[in-house]
Amino acid sequence: MGLIEKVIDWIDERAHVKDIYRTQMVEYKVPKNLTFPYVFGVLALVTFAIQIISGMVLILYYKPSIADAFDSATYTIMGEIPFGWLFRHIHAAGANFFMAIVYLHMFTGIYYNAYKRPRELVWIVGWLIYFVLILTALSGYLLPWGQLSYWGFIVTTEIPGSLADAPILRDIFKAIAETIVLWMKGGYIVTDVTLGRVFGSHVLIYPLILLALVGIHLYLVRAAGISNPEGIEYDKKKNPDKFVPFHPYVTLKEGAYVMWYLAVFFFFVFFHMGHFLPADNFEPANPLKTPPHIAPEWYLLGFYEVFRSIPSKFWGFVAFNALLIFLLILPLLDWSPLKSARRRPLFFVAFVVFMISSMVLTILGTMEPTPMNAKLGLIFSFLVFGFFLSLPIISFIEYGWYKAKGGKQQ
Amino acid sequence: MSAWDIIKTIIFGGSTLVFFFILWFYNPFKHVEHYEVDEEVKGIIANPWKKTESGKTIAEEGRELFIASCSSCHSLRYDGIYLMSVQSNPKWKNIEKSAGRPIYRHGVLYKDRFFVPKDVYEAFAYEDLQNLKAALGQVPPDLSATYLARGDGYLYQFILNPQKVLPGTSMPQIFNPQYDEQAKEKVAKIVAYMKSVNVPPPKEQVKRNVMGVLVIAYFIVMGLLLWKYRTNLLKRLGYY
Repeated sequence: MGLIEKVIDWIDERAHVKDIYRTQMVEYKVPKNLTFPYVFGVLALVTFAIQIISGMVLILYYKPSIADAFDSATYTIMGEIPFGWLFRHIHAAGANFFMAIVYLHMFTGIYYNAYKRPRELVWIVGWLIYFVLILTALSGYLLPWGQLSYWGFIVTTEIPGSLADAPILRDIFKAIAETIVLWMKGGYIVTDVTLGRVFGSHVLIYPLILLALVGIHLYLVRAAGISNPEGIEYDKKKNPDKFVPFHPYVTLKEGAYVMWYLAVFFFFVFFHMGHFLPADNFEPANPLKTPPHIAPEWYLLGFYEVFRSIPSKFWGFVAFNALLIFLLILPLLDWSPLKSARRRPLFFVAFVVFMISSMVLTILGTMEPTPMNAKLGLIFSFLVFGFFLSLPIISFIEYGWYKAKGGKQQ
Repeated sequence: MSAWDIIKTIIFGGSTLVFFFILWFYNPFKHVEHYEVDEEVKGIIANPWKKTESGKTIAEEGRELFIASCSSCHSLRYDGIYLMSVQSNPKWKNIEKSAGRPIYRHGVLYKDRFFVPKDVYEAFAYEDLQNLKAALGQVPPDLSATYLARGDGYLYQFILNPQKVLPGTSMPQIFNPQYDEQAKEKVAKIVAYMKSVNVPPPKEQVKRNVMGVLVIAYFIVMGLLLWKYRTNLLKRLGYY
């Protein structure tokens, strides 16, 4: 018996890890026909781990005060500390990858209708993760204290202020808007106090909430079972041939995908950081000088473009919040028990339109706000809204077809 | 895989790749101002660590030029250059020693240059900075990380002819090619110096590149090995 086995036995005798391994890894069965996009869940988890570990290193050298923040990030971390640059690159690239992977994961969930019964809670907790993730990203973006950080934060925190443009009950909406803006900024102007507060929430409050939510999300996935790309819920006992053991069938496959994902990730970290550490942000924050083009980071540009292309500020604000709410109540909008775009031709078309429109909205957000772009933005905003609002009708039609065919699963 | 599967893969995979290519590599829809360095001085900015005939590196010559021509208005704290009026103040040496620390950058220690925190420096130099503000309309910015923010093309064109690039700026035209034959060369040396402060030296860059290639190769190979191991294992278990 080798040393490793001895150590494992020693631990097993005390912690019963072999039982957990057997019941949770080998005897845990997942559908055999899982497709490639199912990997995004584990990639998101890996990126979360990367963010936490690289953040732990950065927090040791970062100073949350407006006098020192920029210097500690650009001078101390990038030059003085051995490999500080590496951890900053990893954290900055990881933030972008995290959002990208989470978006892909969400689109996968929508495509395979993974939000339907019995997985509604998985979807709702996932939505909460997404929401806290946006807050984490916004707060983290302020910390380098560059021009983009500073003005991006100001613009983002002042977007709720558009509530003050409400057509009715203006006084009440104005009071609400002012309160929200003050909460987000922590004062009338962005100062040392704001930076400290944002730092605290970025390094402690949001990560803790995220950790808890991710734990709940994982538990719920295990409890409800992984969805099937075919959209058919097989019984594990009646159809054992449709299932494979989680280990080694899925773990090794996703392990290989994770390795290749990390290869892509480290390509960006070592050789292509220009888009993750934008040049404009190497100018220290200057409250007296507003840069000409301020836009949020790419992961919010879709929402930003919806907000920007609607002529009224109030309705723009309502619109992009409605999009967030629509995402949350997807299980209600798409009410029929039919699952997976593979079996739903109308839903497939709607999904493709939705996906392309959200991408176009994001790219329109990077462009300058010309009247032409505003018109295009309006058209694609309508398409995105059209996707959500047509879901009940699509569900109705497809459910009718399903019933007409005799209501069988296949 | 059926034809329909292939079409779906192309639709979803292709659009995702195109989308992230536009966001993370090259965005043809985004308007970006472009400034070019003149052809004859490109070599100077390309490698600031090259030795010149005088035995110094280009970056060192650029530093001397920076202190002589720029430091009456601009500081460059990441390399221990402060306003001329501050550095000539005898008390400043004590501040550097007590509040600052020697510059240490990419593994090289510069014992005679000091990094002083921004608030300490601005408090000490308050009057000097206010005088500059009164004369120029605003406090001239510290140029520590300006190279990273603006890039060499912009800096070169701007220093050579500030009014052309940024009309109405209070920055004077110090180097005029009409009166000074070496003007372009001098400007290029200053830009090269600013680059040397912010960009890792070639030796360090090579180290980083080798490290990057090794890390990427490691993950690719590990992925392949895992895949191979999985195929063999599943064949033995009868799952394949």
